[in-house]
Amino acid sequence: MSDLAVFFLHGLAYAGLLFLVSSGLTLVFGMMNVLNFAHASFYMLGAYFAMAIAVYTGQFWLTLAVAPLALLVIGAVVERFLLRKVHVLGHVHELLLTFGLAYIIQEGVKWIWGNNPQAINVSGLLASTVHLGGIVYPVYRLFIFALSALLGLGMALVIYKTRIGIIVRAAVNDSAMVNALGINVPYVFMGVFAVGAALSGLAGATAGPLLGVFPGMAGAILVDAFVVIVVGGMGSLGGAVLASFIIGQLQSFGVLLFPDFSLALIYMLMALVLVLKPEGLFGEKS
Amino acid sequence: MKTLRPRTLALVGGALLVLLAAPKLLPVYQLRLVTEAIIFALYAVSYNLLLGYAGLLSFGHAMFFGVGAFATAVALNHIAGLSLLSAMGLALLTTLLVGLTVGFLLLRVKGTPFSLLTLAFNALFLAIGVKWHTVTGGDDGLSLSAPKLHLGLGVLDPSNGPDIYYLTLVILGGALLFCWRFTRTAMGHSVLLLRENEERMRFLGYNTNVTRLILFVFTGVLAGLAGSFYTLLNAFVSLDAVSIDMTTKVLLMTYLGGTAAFLGPVLGAFFYTYVQDYLSNLTDNWPLIMGLIFIVMVLFAPGGLSGLGKDLAARLKRATTAD
Repeated sequence: MSDLAVFFLHGLAYAGLLFLVSSGLTLVFGMMNVLNFAHASFYMLGAYFAMAIAVYTGQFWLTLAVAPLALLVIGAVVERFLLRKVHVLGHVHELLLTFGLAYIIQEGVKWIWGNNPQAINVSGLLASTVHLGGIVYPVYRLFIFALSALLGLGMALVIYKTRIGIIVRAAVNDSAMVNALGINVPYVFMGVFAVGAALSGLAGATAGPLLGVFPGMAGAILVDAFVVIVVGGMGSLGGAVLASFIIGQLQSFGVLLFPDFSLALIYMLMALVLVLKPEGLFGEKS
Repeated sequence: MKTLRPRTLALVGGALLVLLAAPKLLPVYQLRLVTEAIIFALYAVSYNLLLGYAGLLSFGHAMFFGVGAFATAVALNHIAGLSLLSAMGLALLTTLLVGLTVGFLLLRVKGTPFSLLTLAFNALFLAIGVKWHTVTGGDDGLSLSAPKLHLGLGVLDPSNGPDIYYLTLVILGGALLFCWRFTRTAMGHSVLLLRENEERMRFLGYNTNVTRLILFVFTGVLAGLAGSFYTLLNAFVSLDAVSIDMTTKVLLMTYLGGTAAFLGPVLGAFFYTYVQDYLSNLTDNWPLIMGLIFIVMVLFAPGGLSGLGKDLAARLKRATTAD
């Protein structure tokens, strides 16, 4: 019984990370119809920045503040100076650009930091364990889940309760119309892209101590994040929450129940959704 | 079909002569590079039938390349006395089945979801390769010794440089010609229609799903054929063949060469192979340079090398006529 609880909590922590990565991805896709293949690379950059900061300053909390800020700037620059430039060339070129960026970030990270996996050490409370109804559980995983849940709530508040949120939601629905109403949609888009990159960077910075920092970490989460937005429905924030939860649990229990086929479970879920409901659980029919 | 101009004929004839004489002219290592470039040329041309002709951006082409590569090695290792051509036949049949299955699942999605899902399927096949250790060898890969091919005139040994070169040149060259012919058939034209206006095509009574499925399977089998030769050339196959890197490779080759011309990807394959060979002698970080070249092309020269060539030719022509 307690084993099940442990794996459930493991699943929650991973679901938190997945949500932080996929929420930005799905909103950007909903608004501009651009699937950002470099999004998971922002996650990886977040982890590497965090590692560098932790090595130089020894301050873990500082990494959680600086890494997302750096990614916020990088995200804004990528959108403003690269993505917007190829927008006129059409869809395929936008995908190719983000794919090329992911490739360059991947190789750049290998060039700067090498191929070997590295670790970020946390200390104090975060490195300790707690007793939860008979099980001993590491605080850090709970921290990841709490952080992402908090950010998720914050995002929901911004998106459903503020004027900016209304504009973003409207732009997801019909960006041309919003533009026609006199709102600077390219500007909003840049903001969402940058915030999405920052969230992804934060996810990477928090994932570093748990999963390690290595050049393959972008590819590892990219596919999972794609499955999340396919299953949840592209452009749907609620879908991303639900799908992150499902896939986090599938990952976690998959390893427990079918260690050799845990990956296959996720693909089977995706295939199932594609056949039964191609627009995703919360997606709208096109 | 229009008759070929004398100049074109002379060019093609000259190129054929050079290709036939290559084993006499080139040292062993260079010949191997050319063989590899031909293999990648077919891989890239098959990819461009999707990207350039049908406008379908796939991030999963390596699943076909890899399945063809692994099926060849597995068939030769496990079936005693299997001939080389039967092994290739089996490999093609396997990629055909993979193409039908994956293609059927992907029929309902278009545009970005199509791109995304091809990547996911590629990751799935890579995962199968890693986990199915008993068959694929997992991270160790599979080595093989390919049987000799007995022809009426003599014997070809795939482990011998010139022999595998000629085999590649004839079979893959034939496949390339077949692709070229394909783009000029009614089916080939309907693929262009798919890219330009699928809705209109449906109004005209075409079943676009069938067209898309046939194209997907066709290009998959061609990539599988290229993969099969890749295994024979190396006498070894590793997970590299089915990795996302192998998909990135074909994408870069195709795009660098140019998607608008049939021969663009062939140019790209040779360019990539030689630049990689050159750069990898200088630095371990050659992929970074390749990636930068790619991004610069996407931003400033979306037509690729063949597009740049065309621009240059047009400019020269204007300059000479202006005089």
